[in-house]
Amino acid sequence: MIFRSAKFVLLLAAAAVLSQRAPAGRGEFPQPKSSETLGSLAIVVNQSNPVSDLSLAELRAVFLGERIHWPNGRRITLVMMEPGQPERDAVLRDVCRMNESDFRRRFLQGLLTGEVLVSPKTLATAVGVRKFVFNVPGAIGYMRPADVDASVKVLRIDGRLPTDETYELHLPERVDR
Amino acid sequence: MSRGAPLPQTANEVSSFTPPLGRTPGFLSRYSSALLLLLVVGLEAGVVQFVIRDFHSANTEVQSMYAWSVLGLRRIGGLQYDAQETRRSTLYALTTNDSNLQVEYADQTREADKRVTEGIAEYLQQARLPREVEVGNRLQADWVAYLSVRDEVLASILEGSTKEAVALDLSQGVPLFDRVRQDLEEVKRLYDEQASQRLANVAALARRSVTRLFGVLFCTLCLASVFVWVLQRNKMSSTLQLARMQMDFVASVSHELRTPLAVLCSAADNLADGVVSGKEQLAKYSSVIRNQSRQINGLVNEVILFSSTQNGKGRYVLRPLQVSSIVVSAIDGTTELIDKAGFTLQQEIEPSLPCVLGDSSALSQCLQNLVTNALKYGDRGRWIAVRARLADSKDRHRQEIQISVHDRGAGIDRSDLPRIFEPFYRSPAAVAGQIHGAGLGLPIAKSLAEAMGGSLSVQTEVGIGSVFTLHLPVAEPSNRRVPRQEGPSVQI
Repeated sequence: MIFRSAKFVLLLAAAAVLSQRAPAGRGEFPQPKSSETLGSLAIVVNQSNPVSDLSLAELRAVFLGERIHWPNGRRITLVMMEPGQPERDAVLRDVCRMNESDFRRRFLQGLLTGEVLVSPKTLATAVGVRKFVFNVPGAIGYMRPADVDASVKVLRIDGRLPTDETYELHLPERVDR
Repeated sequence: MSRGAPLPQTANEVSSFTPPLGRTPGFLSRYSSALLLLLVVGLEAGVVQFVIRDFHSANTEVQSMYAWSVLGLRRIGGLQYDAQETRRSTLYALTTNDSNLQVEYADQTREADKRVTEGIAEYLQQARLPREVEVGNRLQADWVAYLSVRDEVLASILEGSTKEAVALDLSQGVPLFDRVRQDLEEVKRLYDEQASQRLANVAALARRSVTRLFGVLFCTLCLASVFVWVLQRNKMSSTLQLARMQMDFVASVSHELRTPLAVLCSAADNLADGVVSGKEQLAKYSSVIRNQSRQINGLVNEVILFSSTQNGKGRYVLRPLQVSSIVVSAIDGTTELIDKAGFTLQQEIEPSLPCVLGDSSALSQCLQNLVTNALKYGDRGRWIAVRARLADSKDRHRQEIQISVHDRGAGIDRSDLPRIFEPFYRSPAAVAGQIHGAGLGLPIAKSLAEAMGGSLSVQTEVGIGSVFTLHLPVAEPSNRRVPRQEGPSVQI
């Protein structure tokens, strides 16, 4: 009982530290700082995954850990890129609709409460994400369309592919420094 | 002019003989050592070529076996290493929680399993024996089964489900990988067996090569020994024969000289002692001395002539000669002897015969020897015929002039035929019949004929007679005949 209370306190402390490191404040979305857009963002899954189309709401449920299994029973493994990457920012903004700290806090709380079984895997590069998705049948990740190859499958979101004009997931505009 | 009765000839009784050309034995004898050396060198060259080819074949087989074994074992070793690398890299992913590192390990295991898959496919492609194909197919199936489990294990590791990954690997991955390892050991064992078999084949090939080498060398040695033995025996035989002939010659000449010399000595003693008185007795003694002196002179001349004919081809000036002039010249030289012996001479010369190429005096001497021979041994029939005609040569490729001397003497025994042209040879019948001679007449005639580019042959039948034929090449095309200058036959 004492160990469980200590674990809870440690998790709360870690969440507080992470929320202080987050670039944006609670409830704030990363805002584009330039008029130049970098293109759309592709959501990719393993080639063996029977799913090929998701609604934006379903995608949000997946990325927030609310949905943990694919229709074939495979456990969903979420693959994220490291914080600060434009792709991650786009997913947080357009899919999760939360900032980095909220996202982290949500998963920490989920792990703590048992609502989330596995935290997202974090990879440094788009190539790493692609290889991860290739190796894990239940994995789902994101990357720029230019990084996609035949080893992974691109999902339609609300019936649209990244090449479609009405596709809703876009990378944030380039930051002017 | 009348024609005498021809010499009766029965095919199954008449013996015929043509002596080999005098140059051939000399040539062979002179160059026999060189020919033998050439033969041995040729044999050795053949043997060396054979041995080199055999060793080259063995060497090629060894190289092939070495390449096959080394490459095969290297490939099996590579397969074993890559299979271990596949599993090792998968297990490495278990040792970290860093997803980036885990992805790198996943890359490594997939690259290794790709090499193994390619290696198995290559092995199956090169497999020939049913056992190889069977083991290769089993290895391929086991490898695919292991890879499917490996993929699940890898996925579990990447998902973060380490316990599941370990449990799956222990329950399924380890047994399947053990089967793969056993399959690879089986493949290696098959390679070892085949390498041993090929090694045994190479050893057998090497043994066979050595056996062949020894066999061929032994045969060559035997052959060379036989050649040397034959050569030495021929040389020894020739030497012995020459020595025997020289002794016979000395004995014969001594005998031929002794008789007239004894007569001369006796006549000289009688003259010196004053036993001879009166003109008539003196004339008789003078005649005896003259005849015996001529006999000695003739014998000495014959010996000198034989000596000069032994290598005398270059000494003669060859020019076209009319056959009739040769025959007439020869008969003129022997008329006295023919008359004295009381022989009948029949001469038959075909009209318009082409000229022959030769030396007039040499051909005349040759014919005289044949006529003299007929006078010596034709005492029984006291008839001689000299005939000349144009005929096809023995090889029928050209025409030749044949001048033959016939007699009706005792004939020549078949066993004596091969030797009658040997110098100093006297047949037992001639010796027993006390027929004078040094055994040089026929050898001289043969040497002279060959010096003119012709040859000498004999046909004989015991109790009937003999025919010696001089074969001479025509000096110009056979259709060009000289005008007839003599009658068809002359009888003296």
